[in-house]
Amino acid sequence: MELHILEHRLRVASIAKESIQLFTYGLIKLAFLSSKTRCKFFSLTETPEDYTIIVDEEGFLELPSSEHLSVADATWLALNVVSGGGGFSGSQPIGVTKIAKSVIAPLADQNISVFMLSTYQTDFILVRERDLPFVMHTLAAEFTILRVVNGETVAADDLGITNGFVKPKLVQRPVIHPLSSPSNMFCVTSLDPDTLPTVATLLMDVMFYSNGVKESVVGNEDSGHIRFFSFSLIEGYISLVMDVQTQQRFPNNLLFTSASGELWKMVRIGGQPLGFDECGIVAQISEPLAAADIPAYYISTFKFDHALVPEENINGVVNALQVSQAEKH
Amino acid sequence: MSGSKPDILWAPHHVDRFVVCDSELSLYHIDSAVSSELKAGSLRLSEETTATLLSINSDTPYMKCVAWYPKYDPECLLAVGQANGRVVLTSLGQDHNSKCKDLIGKEFVPKHARQCNTLAWNPLDSNWLAAGLDKHRADFSVLIWDISSKYAPETAVATEKVRLSSGDAEAGLVVTKPLYELGQNDACLSLCWLPRDQKLLLAGMHRNLAIFDLRNTSQKIFVNTKAVQGVTVDPYFHDRVASFYEGQVAIWDLRKFEKPVLTLTEQPKPLTKVAWCPTRTGLLATLTRDSNIIRLYDMQHTPTPIGDETEPTIIERSVQPCENYIASFAWHPTSQNRMVVVTPNRTMSDFTVFERISLAWSPVTSLMWACGRHLYECTEEGKASSLEKDIATKMRLRALSRYGLDTEQVWRNHLLAGNEDPQLKSLWYTLHFMKQYTEDMDQKLSGNKGPLVYAGIKSIVKSSLGTTENLRHSRSGSDRQADIIQYLSEERSLALQLCGWIKKGTDLDVEPFLNSLEQEGDWERAAAVALFNLDIRRAIQILNKGASSGKGDLNLNVVAMALSGYTDEKNSLWREMCSTLRLQLNNPYLCAMFAFLTSESGSYDGVLYENNVAVRDRVAFACKFLNDAQLNRFIEKLTNEMKDAGNLEGILLTGLTKDGVDLMESYVDRTGDVQTASYCMLQGSPSEVLKDERVQYWIENYRNLLDAWRFWHKRAEFDIHRSKLDPSSKPLAQVFVSCNFCGKSISYSCSAIPHQGRGFSQYGVSGSPTKSKVTSCPGCRKPLPRCALCLINMGTPVSSCPGGSKSDEKVDLSKDKKLAQFNNWFTWCHNCRHGGHAGHMLSWFRDHTECPVSACSCKCMQLDTTGNLIPAETVQA
Repeated sequence: MELHILEHRLRVASIAKESIQLFTYGLIKLAFLSSKTRCKFFSLTETPEDYTIIVDEEGFLELPSSEHLSVADATWLALNVVSGGGGFSGSQPIGVTKIAKSVIAPLADQNISVFMLSTYQTDFILVRERDLPFVMHTLAAEFTILRVVNGETVAADDLGITNGFVKPKLVQRPVIHPLSSPSNMFCVTSLDPDTLPTVATLLMDVMFYSNGVKESVVGNEDSGHIRFFSFSLIEGYISLVMDVQTQQRFPNNLLFTSASGELWKMVRIGGQPLGFDECGIVAQISEPLAAADIPAYYISTFKFDHALVPEENINGVVNALQVSQAEKH
Repeated sequence: MSGSKPDILWAPHHVDRFVVCDSELSLYHIDSAVSSELKAGSLRLSEETTATLLSINSDTPYMKCVAWYPKYDPECLLAVGQANGRVVLTSLGQDHNSKCKDLIGKEFVPKHARQCNTLAWNPLDSNWLAAGLDKHRADFSVLIWDISSKYAPETAVATEKVRLSSGDAEAGLVVTKPLYELGQNDACLSLCWLPRDQKLLLAGMHRNLAIFDLRNTSQKIFVNTKAVQGVTVDPYFHDRVASFYEGQVAIWDLRKFEKPVLTLTEQPKPLTKVAWCPTRTGLLATLTRDSNIIRLYDMQHTPTPIGDETEPTIIERSVQPCENYIASFAWHPTSQNRMVVVTPNRTMSDFTVFERISLAWSPVTSLMWACGRHLYECTEEGKASSLEKDIATKMRLRALSRYGLDTEQVWRNHLLAGNEDPQLKSLWYTLHFMKQYTEDMDQKLSGNKGPLVYAGIKSIVKSSLGTTENLRHSRSGSDRQADIIQYLSEERSLALQLCGWIKKGTDLDVEPFLNSLEQEGDWERAAAVALFNLDIRRAIQILNKGASSGKGDLNLNVVAMALSGYTDEKNSLWREMCSTLRLQLNNPYLCAMFAFLTSESGSYDGVLYENNVAVRDRVAFACKFLNDAQLNRFIEKLTNEMKDAGNLEGILLTGLTKDGVDLMESYVDRTGDVQTASYCMLQGSPSEVLKDERVQYWIENYRNLLDAWRFWHKRAEFDIHRSKLDPSSKPLAQVFVSCNFCGKSISYSCSAIPHQGRGFSQYGVSGSPTKSKVTSCPGCRKPLPRCALCLINMGTPVSSCPGGSKSDEKVDLSKDKKLAQFNNWFTWCHNCRHGGHAGHMLSWFRDHTECPVSACSCKCMQLDTTGNLIPAETVQA
């Protein structure tokens, strides 16, 4: 297995929902006119609380500085696990489940905070740049670590840090934070970048004018529906996460879907905003899923974390996590 | 493609059809345009060709890539890769009864939809179609479909969940299970099958090039690179692959897959297509975005594999088939160097890349040129003489006639050169006299002037400047010679010798020289020399003799008559007439004679600057009649003239000095005759001139020239000649006999060093104290191998021939000492490695064909071609 350390230096920011109009100019440029910017990594996720932006330093320059923009005070690097040469076992669990044991748990053991972003194409594990030596040391045993420099992968230098590591202890990691499961069903999809202009207005509507739509189509939040939409444009690849209702607004055959048409349900983690310093949250969720061989997507936002699991597994997942939660007490 | 830029493809088997694809597929048929008028509906592609639209297929929207079925198919079966990753088989034919009918409309659907970037049919198994897709987190990006596979009704589970996919109703045509899945969690941007094996697939993945081996799918060879677009194998050299990234093309050698063997010069705009020419080796065409030219890189002469140090030779050209930007191009599969291009607005153009003409000129003046697959030999008509005049032809003939190799009678070399060039004649005579004089000096052992000889008359005259000078008023020969002053000194007489006027040391007699000139029939010159030696009677006598001889000119009598009327009266009519009429004489010597007689003492410009008189005669004249200051000035002036003109006669003045090299340089610049330059410079024993890099350059060039003519023996002769005259050029020993045990050389130079106080005379051969023979290695003291016949260690002298009586031996020894020395040599068969004393071996193989070692059946002697030769001695006997 290879672990690629990508060259994007990322910022994680949050825009308050009511202030979104201050930022639409920059966001539209980043999402639809990528050739006009030098941005290579852009992700926008709308939750009921806020808009979370993950963007590289080049793209960050497109956003106006404002009191309505809260920025996490760290530079983040994206890690990407590539299966490399081998790995041909037919139906592997996908997404975070696959890397739960090899990446997420060891990092949690070393108290390294991670920020997850799953897309249609792959999973990105974001770590703070200052934690990189510890990350590399922790994962060196399991992975061939490569760094991307100017688009080419080269062997990463061992930064030679050996002290300050604790021996991993085989502790149970009970789920600490409260969980909730909204009722809407989601799909994770993509589209041909060439066809992006044809749906740009629709996407803008979905991204920035959700407030109006919510009342008429989705109904209110009491029924368990939540507002969740994620758009990312990373190295030329588009990934979209939206609920089925939103998806139906797109023309037929435009969005890429799986042949089996799978749908996903969400587990939301956190009652209070989670912050950026607590470690092991992803591990708490992903380890039980990996144990049960359930595929999952995991999207962290500025305030809460979101896991997507196949709709048919949602009850099992919720039960398992609640059991884990109960163990805490 | 998708609507914006059209692509173009030639049909692999219908040489007159091609497809243009953008949002739909259009099949065209190419016709040759017989008349200048266009048929209705056809498009002009070039002056000779037009295209007619045959059919349009717009069944497959969102096309991303197209690949033509490689097997012969009348219906033009195509695979189309779509934006959602589906691969559809479609056709452009009209005949619905074709055998491929059941394939048309078949769809191959990946588990997760994403763009299909590339398609590649397997060239060996045309049922295999590889598709390269974009990245998906849990799916494979390289799918190999078997187009003959039947619909697998495994989708019972799937259909239950089909909510997003629609229109799969035509079940039976949809295949969802690929034959192979490769490249999980990766993106595939380009693909090509390797012709080496049916199951090798080269793929340009997200950040690396990977070779998948379908015989063992768990392994792949890969190399990290950015150049992953458009991988394509050279059809003529299956280990060579091209790929590109933005504006740069990388060429890979699959045997050295770690890094590109070379990268082509980067283009400012990103590349869109790179393709090897299918009809010519090593020709790569590239196209960049927004460009109206196609760049061609010719790698035909690039060595493979390309070494790390050598700069590969790539010839870069560009062609501009039309004014507009080019959207895509396609090489014709069979017609040589032919190509069609299509522009964004779908105008097309058909053209042939004109082949570069290469020209080769052989060292023996024949000329060839090649264009495409044709080779032409050129012969020049008629003018054979111009070829003969060429210095290369001359040098070849001279090399064959052993020009320059006569070291005994040096002057003869000008005869070997063909006796046609007066400059060469003068040169070789000069060298001859110089050599002769040095030899004389050596014999007399009074060599204080010796080194001066090869330094030329200029230095000799300079050295006489301060030395004793004998002035003498001479009235010899004729009493009428009143006031002519002659100068004499040791140096001057040396100069006269070098000019050839007089022989041997102090003897001032020119008679032998006159006689030799008379013999050659050179009457005018002989008369002039006689006159310049103030012997007017002899001159008249010579002229008379010349007039009466068979070939002589009768006018010589008239000249003799005029000469006899000489008077030293300053204001006589004779003088007046002669000084004006002499200019009408054709012969320069006759002209010079009268100039001498009519001139004032001490001013002889009429003789000295008569350019048609040989330099040696003018110099000799100057040495006789000019005082030191005049002589120096004259020699200086003449030397510079000669140097500027590159006239070889001037070597007499400059000798083989740096001045001489300067002169030779202008001669070589003028003629290119490195042969004469090499031989001439080698004659000079002072090695300073040989160290001059120009001289070394001529010598090396001459050697190369001989090599180019394949005159191996001549070159060897030259090298031997050179090493005789220039010992520093002797090559070092190149063959050694080394010890089996320590590997050190056991040759003489090594064994001559005394070892631990014991001289080798101890091991030496009795009777020959000069030869120190050893029977053990001087390095490690281990014994040398034994002779297979006498069983004595090598190094001991050979005993008498086995079986030979004592009397024979005595005869042998007295007969040929050289052969006896050779008898002691080591010799062995290069095949079986057995051997021994050369003498023993020779006598053994006189009667045997097999190796003398028992149980060895090697027929050593028959392996050696020289072994079959019979010595000349035996033939005579």
